[in-house]
Amino acid sequence: MLPFVLRRLASGVVLVFVISVIAYTLLYLGGGDIARRILGQSATQETVDQKAAELGLDQPLFAQFWDWLTSALQGDLGRSWFTGQLVATGVSGRLAVTLSIVIGATLVSAIVAVVLGVLAARRGGWIDSVVQFVTVIGFAIPGFLIALYLVLIFAINLHWFKATGYIPFTTSPSGWVASVTLPIIALSFAAIAAVAQQVRGSVLDALSRDYVRTLRSRGLSMNRVVYKHVLRNAGGPALAILALQFIGLLGGAIIIERVFALPGLGQLTVEATSAGDIPIVMGIVIVTAIIVVVVNLLIDIAQAALNPKVRLS
Amino acid sequence: MTAITPTPDIPTPQAHASLLRRLVKRPLGAISFAFIVFVGLVAIFGPMLAPYDPNKASLQLVLAPPSAEHLLGGDSAGRDVFSRLLAATQVSVAAALLALVVALMIGVIAGLIAGYYRGWFDSVSAWFTALVMSLPGLVVLLAARAVVGPSVWISMIIFGVILSPAFYRLTYVAVTAVRNELYVDAARVSGLSDGRIISRHILYVVRAPIIIQSAIIASIAIAIQAGLDFLGLGDTSLPTWGGMLNDGFANIYKAPLLMLWPSLAIALTSIALVLLANAMRDVLERTVVVRRRRRRAVATATGSVAAVTTSIGAVTGSTEAALDDELAAVKPIEHRDDDRAAARTGEVVLSVTDLRVGYETDKGSTEVVHGVSLDIRRGEVHGLIGESGSGKTQTAFAVLGLLPRGGRITTGSVEYEGVRLDHASEREFTAIRGRRIGYIPQEPMSNLDPSFTIGSQLVEPLRVGLGLSKKAATEKALALLDRVGIPDPKRTFAAYPHEISGGMAQRVLIAGAVSTDPDLIIADEPTTALDVTVQAEVLDVLRGLQEERHMAMLLVTHNFGVVADLCDRVSVMQAGRIVETGPVRSIFHHAEHPYTESLLAAILDEGPARPPLGLSTEGALR
Amino acid sequence: MLRWRTAAAAVAITGALALTSCAADGGGSTDGGGNLTLGAILAPTTLDPAGSEWGNRAPYYQAVFDTLLLATPEGTIEPWLATEWSYNEDNTVLTLTLRDDVTFSDGSKLTGDVVKQNLERFKAGTSPDAGYFSGIASIEAPDETTVVITLSAPDPAMLNYLTRDPGLIGSAESFESEDLATNPVGSGPYILDTDATVTGTSYVYTKNPDYWNPDVQHYDGLTINVLGDATAALNAIKAGEANGVKLISNDNLAEVEGAGWTVNANELDFQGMLLLDRAGTMNPALNDVRVRQAFNYAFDREALLTALQTDHGTVTTQVFPETSDAYDPALDDYYTYDPDKAKELLAEAGYGDGLTVSMPSSTLLGEATYTLISQQLADVGITAEYTDPGNNFIADLLAPKFPASFMALEQNPDWQLIQFMIAPTAVFNPFHYEDPKVNEYIQQIQFGDEATQASVAKELNTYIVEQAWFAPFYRVQGSYGTDANTTVEMLPTNAYPAIYDFQPKG
Repeated sequence: MLPFVLRRLASGVVLVFVISVIAYTLLYLGGGDIARRILGQSATQETVDQKAAELGLDQPLFAQFWDWLTSALQGDLGRSWFTGQLVATGVSGRLAVTLSIVIGATLVSAIVAVVLGVLAARRGGWIDSVVQFVTVIGFAIPGFLIALYLVLIFAINLHWFKATGYIPFTTSPSGWVASVTLPIIALSFAAIAAVAQQVRGSVLDALSRDYVRTLRSRGLSMNRVVYKHVLRNAGGPALAILALQFIGLLGGAIIIERVFALPGLGQLTVEATSAGDIPIVMGIVIVTAIIVVVVNLLIDIAQAALNPKVRLS
Repeated sequence: MTAITPTPDIPTPQAHASLLRRLVKRPLGAISFAFIVFVGLVAIFGPMLAPYDPNKASLQLVLAPPSAEHLLGGDSAGRDVFSRLLAATQVSVAAALLALVVALMIGVIAGLIAGYYRGWFDSVSAWFTALVMSLPGLVVLLAARAVVGPSVWISMIIFGVILSPAFYRLTYVAVTAVRNELYVDAARVSGLSDGRIISRHILYVVRAPIIIQSAIIASIAIAIQAGLDFLGLGDTSLPTWGGMLNDGFANIYKAPLLMLWPSLAIALTSIALVLLANAMRDVLERTVVVRRRRRRAVATATGSVAAVTTSIGAVTGSTEAALDDELAAVKPIEHRDDDRAAARTGEVVLSVTDLRVGYETDKGSTEVVHGVSLDIRRGEVHGLIGESGSGKTQTAFAVLGLLPRGGRITTGSVEYEGVRLDHASEREFTAIRGRRIGYIPQEPMSNLDPSFTIGSQLVEPLRVGLGLSKKAATEKALALLDRVGIPDPKRTFAAYPHEISGGMAQRVLIAGAVSTDPDLIIADEPTTALDVTVQAEVLDVLRGLQEERHMAMLLVTHNFGVVADLCDRVSVMQAGRIVETGPVRSIFHHAEHPYTESLLAAILDEGPARPPLGLSTEGALR
Repeated sequence: MLRWRTAAAAVAITGALALTSCAADGGGSTDGGGNLTLGAILAPTTLDPAGSEWGNRAPYYQAVFDTLLLATPEGTIEPWLATEWSYNEDNTVLTLTLRDDVTFSDGSKLTGDVVKQNLERFKAGTSPDAGYFSGIASIEAPDETTVVITLSAPDPAMLNYLTRDPGLIGSAESFESEDLATNPVGSGPYILDTDATVTGTSYVYTKNPDYWNPDVQHYDGLTINVLGDATAALNAIKAGEANGVKLISNDNLAEVEGAGWTVNANELDFQGMLLLDRAGTMNPALNDVRVRQAFNYAFDREALLTALQTDHGTVTTQVFPETSDAYDPALDDYYTYDPDKAKELLAEAGYGDGLTVSMPSSTLLGEATYTLISQQLADVGITAEYTDPGNNFIADLLAPKFPASFMALEQNPDWQLIQFMIAPTAVFNPFHYEDPKVNEYIQQIQFGDEATQASVAKELNTYIVEQAWFAPFYRVQGSYGTDANTTVEMLPTNAYPAIYDFQPKG
């Protein structure tokens, strides 16, 4: 397994490199007059030129990227051109928020989707129809509407959770729960729909396998067969879709961040990209790419653990 | 047996011609399909029907409530909401289609090529997929916006690219699955060009899943478009559902109705698309099930029995009705016990009386077993013989309480060692199955859970059912593996099912069935799926165990050779009924029912042995 | 970071454009004099005073730093760090006397030299308002408590400048620090808690125990959360997660009041068309005063105010605010809604067949405004051709790339406003259009005494309106919500109330 992991990590490094090239090029092309934006229009042209030279904006693309790359390889992602904040600090702070809600939503949707999917697949009939319908509705209603109603009911009327803002876990665990619960629920809706459908499908498939009958004929209860054998066999496809959901949520969380005024990565992405704050955007791009590479690797390892036929190669 | 030579022109699976027809027969499918068609028509003709210019603003109409002139009122800029909704439908549908088409083109073409040719293109595509997944879409979108300005079309092209891996994966998996199918091989051998093979055979197979995925992707594209507008990253120069929703959201307290219409348009279209996809999948899954069943029928046809009679296959209401009339009055021909049979005087272990099994389907109830009665005594082997679909396996499952979903015992009784099982609860069955009735299935490989080792699958029932310690259970399992003739029990114990041969697997299953020392073994065609040489060995093991433990056995088979080999008593089943029953010698020598006679004639023609399975079945299928 | 830095914190549009919503580490509600939690539309870019801004970003700086002078809710300028000030005869030398009892939170003392360093840093710094100091020739600090500012020409707005970002004074010792942008050191009523602060979203301050003016320290702690999204802000209000919130628009005032909050109002900005290309370099039509007047007759201001601001504001055709000397009530309805007259004027000017004017649009300002404007213009035969320059909206506007634009601008006191949008060098006169008559007025105001300044300003205002330099729609109400436990007094000259003016109720 070790060679496999090493090989995947190596290809991941290449991937991150290529992505950083692409991202830097895109930012370069879409950048506009960044120095002018930093200084405002009252600044004289000389000051702007001076700032551009200071940031290396007068250099050709390759030289700019090379500068960034050599620093980045030494672990220095630089400072925000606009706020002067260290990129590492800025991005990691935002990442904590986004990961809180995205991992939370992934876990919630995994659990709920497995329960619903198994229920629908085992019981069939009207329960199946109801589960399917509910998940379809969850999928079809725009996330920000769901978020808005959650806020109206649980934050404004019942005061159970917070309507806006984020409290770090280290500051107050209960505050953290109060601040991330609604965003997690709002994010989970669509994910539950997608994963539950997949779980239902794979469980139905696994339930129709002959070994289910054989295992039951040995005196194992249906619950035991379902939760030990069927779920394990249905787990592979479900895990794959869950990983896709996780990655999708990472990018899609911005809408929920906006509604709940959460200082997340999505908001930072939009702000920094629009402004042309290249160091920040590159920091985000690198972190996101690394997360995706690691998640994909973990999923493959998990798949192999679940299914002995899968060889890690 | 006549081998069916695949010809280049074998028709590829024909599941699609009537897909639409079958789809609209399902209520949800029909409603969804109708709604999508409706949305499509609105998209095409809506702008022509709009009573007002969708971009014409009027100060008097700002947030106006619905009225006779303005059916849905005015938006925040005083534009007619109804007209805008019609115009927005066109733009939003076109935008979703654009994303879909881009995703389809990239994903399907790359998937086809990568799946068909493999090699470097394969790894490049996989890598590209990872790349697309890892690049934050928002960054790309915003950068493109900065260069070319806001455009719903550019955004949708970008998201089309981002969504393309969904199609890529789907196509890739489907293509790798079929590229080694016989008909594709045949086409290749016959000199068809790759292009034609892909377009004629492979594209055809992946078509249905792609259509389903398209419905999902289209609804995702609609959601993304709405999300971009919500983030202020939309294109305000064109009316879109997302733009209207955002306008409504901003005025949610002042004019709550404003949000309703675009929400409905988005939600209903998404729901319709997803339900349509689900309905299509259900229809297709059904097709797959039917096909699988037929495949088995054909497989059996290469054996000894069914070849002589018309295969009934999936029992449908109408054909069954005809048989019903024909067989209704027929009582089974009962042969009197001969000396040898009469000598078996053990108590009756299993007593089945007038058993009927029915299935609930969409079209009502269908009965597949029409009143079967049989008794098995301790130490006795009772053969249940008949062609596929005759109801013998259903009878066996009914006794085990393991009928597939929708199936149940409608009338009659099943009594096992004095306990009524015909309406026993799941809990009662769990106590009896495994501990007192063992079951040996037909196909060895598919009856072992591929995710667990052989050992753990043997040990688990021993621990759960008999409450043995892990050590005791392991010892017992190893001993059993040894007993059923497995050369290296320890290695097999630790192996996964895919690491052992079919014959070994069947031995493992036999070991599993007898592991809990049951009084009755139900064996469902225990040797059918095995090579001839292995068949004999497995039968030996089975016979040995049965005699050694003095178990009763219900042996379901279509093979008179096996019956002759093992059974004391035999019942012949046809179309859900027992037509003739009696001691095995008596049946062999004095068969009275024409069906029994034809079955016996078949053995004499072909001999008891069957050719190795699996050579031509795949190709022979359609 | 969609923030568009503009000359003068003046550009109120940044407020409206602030969909930049970072977000908030939401604080709880207050308990009497305990903690004050505020919501602001924008986050500061840097907390370095030399890069500071005012307007909606004022509270972040005002909490930590003191200004040399203080602007009051009554519209007067009062002593703050400077206790006295005086001009020489020709208004070119300003002498300030400083308090001698002020220490910064790092323990260093306020001295004339520190002030000199601060002012020089600001002049050379990256603040969008650095241009305010362009007329400063030199700064001297003859002793510990005196600072002398020498101007190359009189600047009637200089005292006003010193009440806002150019007047912020930080510890000179902190200027060497690497993290000056995120760890400000001032003498203000509160100290930034850098551990609890999340840059860009939530700024947490604790009370400065050694503050020289404890009378204005009404709270033990202060939290400012960035609530850039209108819905999020409203949710925070309804859930009671703040004590005071700057409202992005007037769309949901009823909802805010429904939550038991008070809406405090001022009129600071005007919204309307800037007819920038009066020289006709890009679009010759705009050189014709009749065309510019036609613009003014084309808009139904009352209806626009109702439609876009739910009637929260006052229609006007002048750009000077009510508090200014130039203000003339008669100029609020100089042009009426008269599309026929507009068509007539256009025909006279030779554009009877129609006229096309390119303008920038921004999704962030709301689609409705642009749609209604283009409709009103279309009704008189003017076609508005919109381009969305995205993040470069202001940069492109001032480049200049557009002959005209819809805009929301802050209305400053007379001289400041002239320097902002009328003078040939004004930021919002990007085509540098000059009119000899206007130049003459400006000259008189700059060098005249106070009485002359006031009367000439009125004349200038009338002339500008007649010449239709702009087509203002209305002065829009700026709204600030406070909860039941909090009171605030609005400033007539800034979008965000002063930190000192928040008080616990009762």
